[in-house]
Amino acid sequence: MTIPAFTGLQTALSGLQAAQAAIDTTSENIANANTAGYTRQRVNLVENGSLTIPALTQQGGGTQLGTGVSLTDISRIRDQFLDVQYRAQNTATSNANTNASQLAQVQTAIDEPSSDGLQNVMSKFWSAWSSLGAAPTNPAAQQAVVDAGQTLASTFNAVSAQMQTVQTQAGQQYATLTGTNGQVQQDAQQIATLNAQITQATQAGQSPNALLDQRDNLVDDLSSLAQVSVSTGSNGAVTINFGDASSPLVSGTTVTWPQTLTSAAGGQLGALLNLSSSTGPIGSMLSSLDNVASTVISTVNALQPSSPFFSGTSAGTIAVSANASSIQASSSSTSGADLAQAIGNLSGGTADQSYAAFVAQVGDSVQAANSTQATQQAVLTAVSNQRQSVSGVSLDEEMTNLIQFQQAYQASARVMNAINSTLDTLINSVGAGL
Amino acid sequence: MRITTQMTTTGVLANINNVQQQLANTQQQLSTGLSINQPSDNPYGASLAIQLKNDLAGLGNYQSSVTDGTAWASAADTSLTNVMSMLQRAQELTVQASNGDESSTDLSSTADEIDQLAEAMKQEANAQYNGQYIFSGTATNTQPYTTSTGDTFQGNTGAVTRTIGPSANLQVNVDVSGLLGSGTGAADGKLLDTLRSIASDMRSGNSAGVADLSSNQLGNLQNSLNSLEQLQANVGAVQNRLSLAGTRIEGLQNSDTAALSNDEDVNMAQAVTTFSNEQAAFTAALRAGANIVQSSLMDFLN
Repeated sequence: MTIPAFTGLQTALSGLQAAQAAIDTTSENIANANTAGYTRQRVNLVENGSLTIPALTQQGGGTQLGTGVSLTDISRIRDQFLDVQYRAQNTATSNANTNASQLAQVQTAIDEPSSDGLQNVMSKFWSAWSSLGAAPTNPAAQQAVVDAGQTLASTFNAVSAQMQTVQTQAGQQYATLTGTNGQVQQDAQQIATLNAQITQATQAGQSPNALLDQRDNLVDDLSSLAQVSVSTGSNGAVTINFGDASSPLVSGTTVTWPQTLTSAAGGQLGALLNLSSSTGPIGSMLSSLDNVASTVISTVNALQPSSPFFSGTSAGTIAVSANASSIQASSSSTSGADLAQAIGNLSGGTADQSYAAFVAQVGDSVQAANSTQATQQAVLTAVSNQRQSVSGVSLDEEMTNLIQFQQAYQASARVMNAINSTLDTLINSVGAGL
Repeated sequence: MRITTQMTTTGVLANINNVQQQLANTQQQLSTGLSINQPSDNPYGASLAIQLKNDLAGLGNYQSSVTDGTAWASAADTSLTNVMSMLQRAQELTVQASNGDESSTDLSSTADEIDQLAEAMKQEANAQYNGQYIFSGTATNTQPYTTSTGDTFQGNTGAVTRTIGPSANLQVNVDVSGLLGSGTGAADGKLLDTLRSIASDMRSGNSAGVADLSSNQLGNLQNSLNSLEQLQANVGAVQNRLSLAGTRIEGLQNSDTAALSNDEDVNMAQAVTTFSNEQAAFTAALRAGANIVQSSLMDFLN
């Protein structure tokens, strides 16, 4: 039986190299422990092919001698199914977040319950008429009615304008995100570039971990804008369907953008489209507010037969067209202050009731949006934790691995030392007599 | 489940954030004293609060109508009481004169006093409240009797009303022209006409005049007295109704205020308890977080 003299050295060397690669990978993991989107890496090792050692006699037998270890690749530890779940929840969470924050602005705009809200302004308006009813010819009371009317009109205008601003800004935000060099286009172009690089590396038989992490990160980012579905081709490139767009956003190295989305796209973009639409939640709140304003206008004007008190038809256009001298407190010279009293009696009437319903509508919408947001956030946290649990770096684990690999390295070095002294014995002592 | 370093830190942060959010909510409730600070805190409660505030504002309007009406009625009552004492004085003078044992000089000075009484009554009828003539019907800017128009009543008989409840309008003025009338020119047999006739009877100095005093004018005065009493009774009834309405409105205000407080005010005892619970949870979250995040395997390796 003959065993090549330096086999052991080579085996020890492969052990050293494997341990070194493992230590380097551990170092990479520790270095990126807090990097967003980093996937922990693992060195995949495989046992080397054995050396067949023939038997000394011709009767057969013989054996196989292991020749160490070699490194196949360094791979990412990641679960594609968790990615799919995470992105779906990320889309829904981002949709809920956008809804909640925009609707909260509407709620701030109406400023209820407070002493500055429309409720208070409107009841002061009715009170002014009621006071005029007690002193129909008093110039101060007449002026007070006009002033209260102007305050009411401008409060309606302001609330309506603030709500419209929220609506318009949602549309602008959508335009910014989806426009030229907007976030969608930038992400898509980067993904297309990465697709090309990844294809190249994959064809060369490499595992481009850093590029894959970058691409997954970009897809995560896109998933907050609208729902995404990802399919990976055999060459490593991904095709991404985005929202409810008709063609894929990215296919290989081709980017198809801009495309038309609807509010069914989900995510932030879907929410923004819905909020900016005239039939969306803010649109419907605005029409409720307009309804309150037009009720005020029509009921008050009906009791001012000769010249209307208010002009306009909606919360945005309501204005006082009367002045202190054109106000009619009574319908005839002998009827007292019947008109002023009748308008004062509108207090608590249809306009007030529909305003209370409007506030309840806003409150309901915001409450529903908040609770969806809270639920969604909890679900996303759970899925994100699952993903982290698979792909995230645990420093304790890396420390344990580090000790393990360090000891393996030391042991391989010791083996090398032992072989060295064996060979020394063989060469210097055995051959000394020659 | 494998727990990673990032999971630990994000988890600790998220939990601390949650507790802080709850603390901020409770703190807002405690500092505003309101359990509903935005409509979304309780949409139904918020709209109920708005309706209750509208109700309270409406009741406030009724309350000020009642106050105004009461002041109006008591001004009317004062004037009518003064007119009553003047009427009684006129009656006294007329009864004395109708006895026929007064000299023509005495009668003439009595006639002067009667005229003075008539003028004083017109003065009472010109009484004002809050810049409005209370006896000129709905023409509250028109003085009922002026120097230039003599005994002719300038107002109208319209009803001045105050709204003291939902579709409850109460007439607060009385028609004084029905009592005083428009003097001899109108020959309406009302008080001013009667007083002027009495004065002219007295000045006539003849027995026919004195006889007219007892045969006609005393009767006319009695009629006026009756209608004045009627007016006073009307004013009294208005005051009664106003005072009842005022009490009723106060009751409604109390119950609405209580309902509003139930609806939107915070239950302090409960909120303070919640606050201290959340504070304890917050401290615990901070302490636990600090301990977990700090320690790792490295603390135990050499």
